[in-house]
Amino acid sequence: MTVTRQPFEAATPDDKLTYVGTSPPRIDGLDKVSGAARYVDDLDFGPDLLFAAVVETPHAHAIIKRIDTSRAEALPGVVKVVTGADFPFGFGLYMKDRYVFAQDRVRFVGEQVAAVVARDEGTAKRAVKLVDVEYEVLEPVFDPVFAASEDAPLLHPELKNYPHVPWFFPHNDTNIAHWRKTRKGDVEAAFAEADLVFEDTYTVPRYAHCAIEPHAVVSLYDRAGRLTMWSASQSPYTQRHVIAEALEPLGLTHQQIRVITPYVGGGFGGKAGVSMEIMGAALATAVQGHPVKLRFSREQEFYNTYQRQGLEARIKIGVTNDGTLTAIEHTMHWDAGAYVEYGANVVNAAGLSATGPYRVPNVKIDSLCIYTNLPPGGPYRGFGYSEFNFGLESHIDRIAHQLGMDPVEFRRKNAIVEGDTLSYGEKMNPSGLLECIDKVADAINWGTGEMSGDPNKVVGKGVALMWKAPAMPPNASSSSFLKFNEDGSINVTVSGMELGQGYLTVMAQIVGEVLAVPPEKIRVETPDTDRNPYEWQTVASHVTWGCGQAVEAAAIEAREKIFEVVHRVHGYEEDSLFLSKEAVRCTTDPDFELPLRDFVIAGIETADGSYRGGPIVGSGMFMPEFTSAKSDPETSQGGHPNVHYTVGAAGVVLEIDRQTGKMHVLRTALAVDAGKAINPDLVRGQIVGGLVQGLATVLYEDMRYDDNGRLLNPNFTDYKIPTSLDIPDEIIPIIVEVPQPDGPFGARGVGEHTMIPAAPMIANAVEDAVGVRIKSMPVTAEKVALSLWEGEN
Amino acid sequence: MAIAHQFAYHKAATLDEAVEVLTRAGPTARVLAGGTDLVPWMRDDAVHPETVVDIKAIDALDEISLEGDHLYLGPLVTFSDLLTSELVADRLPILREMADTVASPGIRNRATVAGNICSAVPSCDAGPTLLVLEASVAVLGPNGARTVPIEEWFVGPRQTALEQGEVVTGLSIPIPDQPHGAIYLKLQRYEGEDLSQAGVTVLVTGNNVFRIAFGAVGPVPSRAHEIERFLAGRALSDGLIAEAQHLVLGAISPITDMRATREYRARICEVMLDRGLRAAVSRRDGNGPAYGTRLI
Amino acid sequence: MKLPINVTVNGETWPLDVEPNEILLDVLRNRVGAKGAKIGCERGDCGTCTILLDGRSVRSCLMLAVEADGHEITTIEGIPDNGVLSALQDLFISHNSFQCGFCAPGIVLGAHELLRDNPNPSRYDVQHALAGNLCRCTGYEPIIDAVLEAAGEDRS
Ligand code: FES
Ligand code: FES
Repeated sequence: MTVTRQPFEAATPDDKLTYVGTSPPRIDGLDKVSGAARYVDDLDFGPDLLFAAVVETPHAHAIIKRIDTSRAEALPGVVKVVTGADFPFGFGLYMKDRYVFAQDRVRFVGEQVAAVVARDEGTAKRAVKLVDVEYEVLEPVFDPVFAASEDAPLLHPELKNYPHVPWFFPHNDTNIAHWRKTRKGDVEAAFAEADLVFEDTYTVPRYAHCAIEPHAVVSLYDRAGRLTMWSASQSPYTQRHVIAEALEPLGLTHQQIRVITPYVGGGFGGKAGVSMEIMGAALATAVQGHPVKLRFSREQEFYNTYQRQGLEARIKIGVTNDGTLTAIEHTMHWDAGAYVEYGANVVNAAGLSATGPYRVPNVKIDSLCIYTNLPPGGPYRGFGYSEFNFGLESHIDRIAHQLGMDPVEFRRKNAIVEGDTLSYGEKMNPSGLLECIDKVADAINWGTGEMSGDPNKVVGKGVALMWKAPAMPPNASSSSFLKFNEDGSINVTVSGMELGQGYLTVMAQIVGEVLAVPPEKIRVETPDTDRNPYEWQTVASHVTWGCGQAVEAAAIEAREKIFEVVHRVHGYEEDSLFLSKEAVRCTTDPDFELPLRDFVIAGIETADGSYRGGPIVGSGMFMPEFTSAKSDPETSQGGHPNVHYTVGAAGVVLEIDRQTGKMHVLRTALAVDAGKAINPDLVRGQIVGGLVQGLATVLYEDMRYDDNGRLLNPNFTDYKIPTSLDIPDEIIPIIVEVPQPDGPFGARGVGEHTMIPAAPMIANAVEDAVGVRIKSMPVTAEKVALSLWEGEN
Repeated sequence: MAIAHQFAYHKAATLDEAVEVLTRAGPTARVLAGGTDLVPWMRDDAVHPETVVDIKAIDALDEISLEGDHLYLGPLVTFSDLLTSELVADRLPILREMADTVASPGIRNRATVAGNICSAVPSCDAGPTLLVLEASVAVLGPNGARTVPIEEWFVGPRQTALEQGEVVTGLSIPIPDQPHGAIYLKLQRYEGEDLSQAGVTVLVTGNNVFRIAFGAVGPVPSRAHEIERFLAGRALSDGLIAEAQHLVLGAISPITDMRATREYRARICEVMLDRGLRAAVSRRDGNGPAYGTRLI
Repeated sequence: MKLPINVTVNGETWPLDVEPNEILLDVLRNRVGAKGAKIGCERGDCGTCTILLDGRSVRSCLMLAVEADGHEITTIEGIPDNGVLSALQDLFISHNSFQCGFCAPGIVLGAHELLRDNPNPSRYDVQHALAGNLCRCTGYEPIIDAVLEAAGEDRS
């Protein structure tokens, strides 16, 4: 499982880290608190900027009979009206099942059928209402289980023709776009032998990311035929690639497309891949020479960007009386929505890992990606794991109770450890899971009952474990350039995105560690595909680990150049040289000290007045060469789909008002094995933020649709997110560090993981407090109260 | 994005001028005070006034004053004004408690109490409290001034007794006999800024006269007279409260919507009545939870 | 019909002609260049458009531009004093009180108003004052800590 890779070479001989493991101020701090930070919608484009607005279908499933744009075109100020006929191109990240604009058929309420470009936003919006579209309404399907049946109307008759990655297995002439099967051992035999077999179904609704910055893109197809896009995105290179593929018939190539991503106001997966940006790209080609802005309203943000997919999960688990997990059967029907080009990979990831972080000898997982007439599903922090963990960790708790075992002890006993065999045959990586469990149990005083001071209220406790691997293609890669400046400061270019997680700062710390330059003297630039080198995407919690390795490699390359030139001029052996405090030093000559700023641009002067060296630059690249998505489609055995798992545990002390069902988190703790926390404060920031976002999905949020597939709460009034008054009284972040052998300084990613255990730990605490088991998310005050009252009646 | 439709903006210098413009403009004119409802409604295409009459330039409409045994609120008094007024804190702390539950500072600094009852959404926070306080609404219109008792004010969701051409000129609130105790309980999904799922204001005076009004559990905020009559003059006891709770369903007509189900609202109103009655009485008796304490 | 207005933004007077249906937030961003006021929801729900109007926090997406006539506006750009960040802004950096940063301008302005009106807020006061400013990234804790520290409250 572990990659063969040179262990980290310390910048100083005593191997003490200077910047890694510390928490310097974020390098984007000044920009963001002063108002200087520019997001896409803040950029100025001059007087010829045009504005786009989208014509959206009111039907969940319909055939487009006719589109008449003439009234819209006649409106003064309208520059262009386009429809699907102008762009008959499919696109998609993992499966090309989507269109720039709907072609003959619409598949969800709000889907784009046409767009208007006008001189101002108001005119564009008015013109949208003048586009007449005639539909023949078809029967929609919203329930994924029904949609997977033979009786359901077929949403994508063309499924068999859609190009897709080799690790997807569509079932032609059904609504099943992908079916991941994982098989290990013999579950039937294991269930027959088990002392206890327990089975139940859990449901998870759809959720919205709610990044506070809505999607926005400005695109300019200039008069020389180059397409430049300023995009609020997590994925500049992936956008360039997907758009180049889709618009290739228009003569666009990768070289002719440039994607620039300034600061982005939150992503959480919602700004990964390509969603509305494809429209921006296409529209620009229709108004050559003018930049055109497409900015989604908050409403559109809710109904026409990726949503977290709904899930119905049937879980059957077998155990022996001593509390050993022997078998799991986990069947997941995913409500993947109208297009699954990205969402199918979420389904795939879950299908490989839906045992959770447990040692289970017999496994049968079916993860079905099912088309429905709801908006496209896609990635959201946790990428499948947040979704299935609700049912799984609820079920684990219930089994422990049925066995009469303590839920923490039961988890401890079965927790996966390094070297255990994963469901698809590979071995588990080093993991601090047991340490996480113990520290969390400790932090919430597990095993000790607590009382509320209020007679109407009771207190319960719950725990949940989590794990997650980055879900990446086997060749997802990263690269980095760095260059020194005259004053010894450094510019680093990468194409990972600063989403708020602190990535720029972490990259600066890694470079700083290798080159002995303080992070505040290192500028890390946000992506521009013309200038910054390749990065697959900022998703999967992989950039610290993957891009971190590329950045480290670039710094090491620069360091080698530094040592080489010093050796040439001063004669010291290269392996006797080291960097410390922005200078080159030598183990064999304590008096030698050559400040970097003296030569990293100007070179080193020799006795005859000539110079050696030159501007020091470095480049680095990284690809997880040990992974492979090739495996047996019937069992998933044989491949190496995941680079590693990050694990953790969380616990909660929850107070519940028995009369109203209202819940309040008194204390919550989350431990995550970061391998090495390069910046502990930023890891803690991920823990606090991720936990609150996870608590939001369980305590408050869900997307509600009417019978016609129309989203009822596309706004922050009724799809509200927690406010500053809706947070736990106390959050205890715990960092565990069992190094990842191939990670930069031992680090692995933690960004998404902190959200994953929140939902089941609340459901478990609710049962602990009031004896009610809620099997569908969200676990709202209302749901708790209604269940309690039902019990009373 | 600008509001999609065009309209005329008129900044009135006097109330008479406002009435004149409103009357001339006819049914498509709207008064603009804080704008925290009107502006987003226009932006959402939910209302399309052709004329908007801004009354914020008119002098002295944001006053809070004592007029005999009445508290007077000018039509531009905001929820923030209620929170900072010493007069309110001293004489009618229930108004302050109610204001504290409304939205957030950025809204409270603009949103007016008069505007809240003019918007008249079923969940409006001012509704139940003004009902138990038996406020009256002063209006000025083409036919002169008149006064509308608050109980006749709410006609339906987003509908009031305000007639065409009329503008609210103030609220007059009789200060109950001392001592009194009152409480506004607001059930919300979030502790932070949120709309009411169900609300109740309870007021009790020295001789155990109760006034009770519910919000967000019917088309309009409304008084619960039957419960009031049942409780009148009686000392609270567990049994009495339980009996009063049986009358709640007759006093409200909740529906299921995005924010709650009918069933939850109904049952919660019983819980809130219980807590409200006890808290109001204990406040009256000087041993209740401080105003502003959240009991739900 | 365009109406002439005069607004003072961060100490500078701006004579502008605006249509009645123009929203103040748009005018600030597009005509004055005060991009620190962000568009998050345009219906008063998120607080990213928060500005100080005559010193009091308001949501500029809920105001017509004409309503600002004769008023003084402060946006995040106007908070630093001669280029020096406020103590609160510094504390936002040292506490990592932002991640993506999109909510930060509105929250900094709201917190400034709070600290002016209530120099010794409790934790609850801070939470209550900022409850209209949504942040999806931070979980609010580092924001609350920074505001409390700015108020000089020693929290252990
Ligand atoms: S943009 Fe004004 S409150 Fe959201
Ligand atoms: S930092 Fe991203 S919304 Fe607050």
